[in-house]
Amino acid sequence: MIIETNNLTKMYGNKVGCREICLSLGEGQIFGFLGPNGAGKSTLVKMLVGLLFPTSGTAKILGRPLGDLEARRKTGFLPENFRYQDWLTGEELLTFHASLYGLGAQDKKRRIPAVLEQVGLSGKERQKVGTYSKGMQQRIGLACALLPDPELVFLDEPTSALDPLGRREVRQIILDLRRRGKTVFLNSHLLSEVEMICDQVAIIHKGRIISTGVLGEMLSGSVEVELQVEARTPQMLSELAALSRKIAADGSHIRLSLNDRQDVGALAGIVVKNGGRLFGLKVGQGSLEDLFIDLIREGGGNQC
Amino acid sequence: MLTITLLTFKEVIRRRIILVTSFLALVFLALFGTGVHYGYKEMAGHVGPLETMFTQQFLALGLYFGSFIVAFLAIMAVVGAVSGEIESGTIYAIVPRPLKRSAIILGKLLGYGLMLCAFAALFYIAVILIIRFNTGLSVPVQPAALGLFCLQPLILLAVSLFGTTFLSTLANGIAAFMLYAIGVIGGMMEQIGHLANSEVLIQIGIVSSLVMPADAIYRKIVYSLMATPGISTASMLGPFGSMSEPSAWMLLYTGLYILCFLALAVKIFSKKDL
Repeated sequence: MIIETNNLTKMYGNKVGCREICLSLGEGQIFGFLGPNGAGKSTLVKMLVGLLFPTSGTAKILGRPLGDLEARRKTGFLPENFRYQDWLTGEELLTFHASLYGLGAQDKKRRIPAVLEQVGLSGKERQKVGTYSKGMQQRIGLACALLPDPELVFLDEPTSALDPLGRREVRQIILDLRRRGKTVFLNSHLLSEVEMICDQVAIIHKGRIISTGVLGEMLSGSVEVELQVEARTPQMLSELAALSRKIAADGSHIRLSLNDRQDVGALAGIVVKNGGRLFGLKVGQGSLEDLFIDLIREGGGNQC
Repeated sequence: MLTITLLTFKEVIRRRIILVTSFLALVFLALFGTGVHYGYKEMAGHVGPLETMFTQQFLALGLYFGSFIVAFLAIMAVVGAVSGEIESGTIYAIVPRPLKRSAIILGKLLGYGLMLCAFAALFYIAVILIIRFNTGLSVPVQPAALGLFCLQPLILLAVSLFGTTFLSTLANGIAAFMLYAIGVIGGMMEQIGHLANSEVLIQIGIVSSLVMPADAIYRKIVYSLMATPGISTASMLGPFGSMSEPSAWMLLYTGLYILCFLALAVKIFSKKDL
């Protein structure tokens, strides 16, 4: 396993940072870590990269305990509140981080232009970081994280300062990392972005993981149906609600979420049986946003 | 560790800390040199011990305010060494890299320490040369006194480095200056205590030099520079002088004091949640 946590807990006095986190993350995956503000996302990332010390529980990164320097040599990290020495040039900043990673002169010569090219900052390396736009600063931060050609990369909100074009480029970088067998731990608020590229996701709420799994499987469990019905009755709605997890009616439109795709056939029967006229039935897969909102509303949690 | 040291050097140069301090130090030295030049000229009629005493007053004045400037540089440069980086967020990209947290503290210590020692040594030599050229007083550079002059900012470096691991930059700056002031005022009270034969004032001075030994080191420098066989003229310089030489135990205490604060800085930072 690339990341393995067992009941990892962080308490700030009586306040929960995150509690009993159990995660297993294999090689060559993009893992999306989601949760509302203050849910404990950054707390977990900070523990895994060595900025915070766990209150209890254990974790292994690349098969080594937290804080192990050899594991850190193969780990990249882009912090959420990125801020770099603004009196250094982009090239000097990368040279500094390359030295922190212990790269030799030859490796520096090879890797620095490569990561500059990768993040689209070639030609800007002689400028002071203080003169960079916020988006460029995020890019140079990403370049720092990619310097050692890491096996594992933690990206905490990597596209928060980027325009749509920049976001697309970063998504491409992340997908390219996966293609080369690297593992990416992506902490993001942008659900659409996570949905586009992640293989696995975990959702954290109030410090606990409330759902985790393969993204495709999680979404396939929820079927969204939209009916266009005339002459609907309370009895019809009541019977439809009994089959669904969630139902909303607005004029002739009824939207509902089913747990089982098999129930789609029964919907038309309920409408006709109750004297309604069915003009349309559209079936689709639930979105990550719907799943996220449902799970956060329901709360709950899982254990190791 | 050396990567952090090099970054520290770059920082003091790029952020113009060295430039501003050097410029102001030059202004001070120019003013001091002018004062010594004309002051000595006016006193040309005096001969004998009085002339020597006046000249030594100038020397003590230069070293005393030189100690001030070096101390201020030490505090201002180091006060946000860790807390400032936490406040700005730059530390979040450094700590997760493959280096021990102790290496970050020790790297900064080495960087700031070398810079402060170089600055203090140049300042000390400049003061001695100004006195020599303007008065002809043969004051040897004395490597031991030079070493002690460089030791003063290291004390404040250790204290500020300790404070910056758990206090905010502002709180640490205030604490370091207050601590330095305690040492300075205590040292003056001790000298007045000797003159007034007040045991209480002398004891206050001793306790304050244990709390902050920088002033005691200054007294040792003055005493050793102005000691002549049989009698030390340092005792005639009032609050800027030294009625008695701080012992070798004081030096040992100062060494342990620095090590103790550095060990605490490393320990606190190594366990700190960021």
